[in-house]
Amino acid sequence: MKEIKKDFPVLVNNPDIVYLDSACTSLKPMQVIEAEMEYYKKFGACAGRSSHRLGRETNQRLDECREKVAKFVNAEKDGLIWTRNATEGLNIVANGFDFSKRKKVVTSIVEHHSVLLPLIKLRDQGKIKLDVVGCDKEGNVDFSKIDRETALVVTNSWNNILGTGRKINEIAKLAHDNGALICVDGAQGVPHHKTDFKNLDFLCFSGHKMLAPTGIGALVCKTDHLAKLKPLMTGGGAVKTVELNKVVELPTQERFEAGIQHYAGIFGFASACEYLNKIGMEEVEKHEATLAKAFYEELKSAGAMIYGPDSPQNHSALYSFGFKNAKAHDIALMLDREKIAVRSGFFCAQPAMEVIGAGDGATRVSGYIYNTPEDAKRFGEILKKINVLYS
Amino acid sequence: MVLCIIAFFVFAVMSIFSAKYRPLAKEGLKCVFKTITFRPCDTGLDDRIKARLVSELLKFSPGAAKVLNKHFVIFSWLFVLLTFGSLAYSIYGFYNFYVYGNCDGPDSVNGCVLNDITGDYGRFSEPKDLIVPTNYDGLTEGNPNGTLKIIEFGCFTCPYTKKAEDTVQGLLQEYDGQIYYVFKPFPLPNHNNSFEAARAVLCARDQGKMWEFRKEVFKQQDVCRTDGTLAIKELAQNAQLDMDKFNKCYDNNETDAELGKYVQQGKDAHIYATPTFFVNDKPVVGPKTLDQFRCEIEKKDSLVKEIGCLLGQWWG
Ligand SMILES: Cc1ncc(COP(=O)(O)O)c(C=O)c1O
Repeated sequence: MKEIKKDFPVLVNNPDIVYLDSACTSLKPMQVIEAEMEYYKKFGACAGRSSHRLGRETNQRLDECREKVAKFVNAEKDGLIWTRNATEGLNIVANGFDFSKRKKVVTSIVEHHSVLLPLIKLRDQGKIKLDVVGCDKEGNVDFSKIDRETALVVTNSWNNILGTGRKINEIAKLAHDNGALICVDGAQGVPHHKTDFKNLDFLCFSGHKMLAPTGIGALVCKTDHLAKLKPLMTGGGAVKTVELNKVVELPTQERFEAGIQHYAGIFGFASACEYLNKIGMEEVEKHEATLAKAFYEELKSAGAMIYGPDSPQNHSALYSFGFKNAKAHDIALMLDREKIAVRSGFFCAQPAMEVIGAGDGATRVSGYIYNTPEDAKRFGEILKKINVLYS
Repeated sequence: MVLCIIAFFVFAVMSIFSAKYRPLAKEGLKCVFKTITFRPCDTGLDDRIKARLVSELLKFSPGAAKVLNKHFVIFSWLFVLLTFGSLAYSIYGFYNFYVYGNCDGPDSVNGCVLNDITGDYGRFSEPKDLIVPTNYDGLTEGNPNGTLKIIEFGCFTCPYTKKAEDTVQGLLQEYDGQIYYVFKPFPLPNHNNSFEAARAVLCARDQGKMWEFRKEVFKQQDVCRTDGTLAIKELAQNAQLDMDKFNKCYDNNETDAELGKYVQQGKDAHIYATPTFFVNDKPVVGPKTLDQFRCEIEKKDSLVKEIGCLLGQWWG
């Protein structure tokens, strides 16, 4: 793991920067950047349309990419829809799901705006009944509200505010026992924790948070659910035949992929999965557990208040924190003066921030495979100095 | 926040020289607009400035950084007010310099600046730089053996010399019998017709009517300055001088050699403003009040008086 930094040009070009904002977006290794360039340098054609050799080769390579990314979460390649990001996947599920029989959707307050906003919109349009389950101060959510009226449960597997995870298989079982389906926001889970799609119905995640380029993500569905899902938009490549008064959509996932796709991004996405597989997700988890512990200790000894559970156990290498009477933004800016990149604000999860007691925002530190305990130490050193301002 | 007003000005000036600062200036302008319409500045510029200042200070003094961080709004208001205050004061100074030849304006105690003569541009002298003149020739009055000897270098078309005239009269009255007063004309080139006026006063002195004529000149100083010889001759008439004699003296520049001597003495003394007095060899620059002169003259009498004088100086 020590040598990993060398793969990341941003870190090589800025050796004095400590990047601790991977929950927002991760850095990209050279391998991924090269894979993305490879499309433009060696392929460059349309897929699924042109029968010339470049077109055929592009098509074949994209097929392999689809398989690689699907495999990464132990899913079927035929159930994977390319999206721009997790947000698009979540919107497709919310808007394309069949609510004709059951209208109730259960979600929690500790969710990203990308989960909440599409659902709130549907609720306001009268299309669904929305039940947003609250949480305690530690962010724990009780999903027992799932009942036989529930059509869909939408929840993250790991959240981007507290760095905590959910027993997603248990929630899935509860949903299935009640005849409901589950859609998981894996934006924070998939990059950092081994994720198995086996027991889930829908899974959305973004490439850019897991070493892949921006602008590419995936929505993974069980194929029979995919068949019933309605696409958000349609157009070239999504249909079988078109007559002016009769359109036959493709039955496969291409139905959701209208227009030319982000091929270079897809190449990069597959390469990112390869990169992570090479390290091994167990290894990633182990490394992040060490980081989580290191961050925790630094935060504690700098006198910071940690939001959520006060323990590094079962924790991502992600913490939201603050100092008494300090503006979150000021802390982030002062860390930035020392070349430490963290995020501050509401992390696109304002309702959650309110309930965990960070209504004025918080500062967030988040690590990934390229971070080391030394990074945590430097972060801690500066934090201790900043603490002097507020103690 | 108010600080962005200054940031805007600074970046605006910097962006004249480097395009790098233009986005910052734009951000500053946006922020200024928000601030003056009482809305929070949402460009983040103010927060970045704060973080930068506090972080830098933190390296040197955590305690000071803590105070700055806590009361940043107050400090920035102070800073902005001071900046604008000093800016306004500087503009006022430039205006005065342009109009009165003196940064402090017409009520200045510093007198008319004559860098034109000494060539001391940019170097404003202080009384301690002055060298006491060694002789008492000039336009004299009083008792040559008196204990109080006052020399004045003055310019007849300088508003400050005019302002000091009442004080001079007061001194002559109050210290009658003890005072020996010597006036050395020191015409400043930056005042129109200053040489003409000085020449004329010397001519009047030759007729024994120095004080009468001098009074007229100060009274009509503005006209003297603008109309020169024409006005001066009219004043000579008003002062009932023998005009034939006066014209001869004045038109032939008969007193110029004498005047040149005084000017040289002034330069030797490093005079940098008029009026400059030497009160028993102690330099006093500017049109001080009679009270202030009394202090200079008598303060050594008692401690109470000395403290009174100090307070008076501080106040006035
Ligand atoms: C938990 C969670 N869900 C969803 C998203 C949305 O991801 P994206 O912006 O890539 O669509 C994020 C991104 O911050 C997230 O952290």
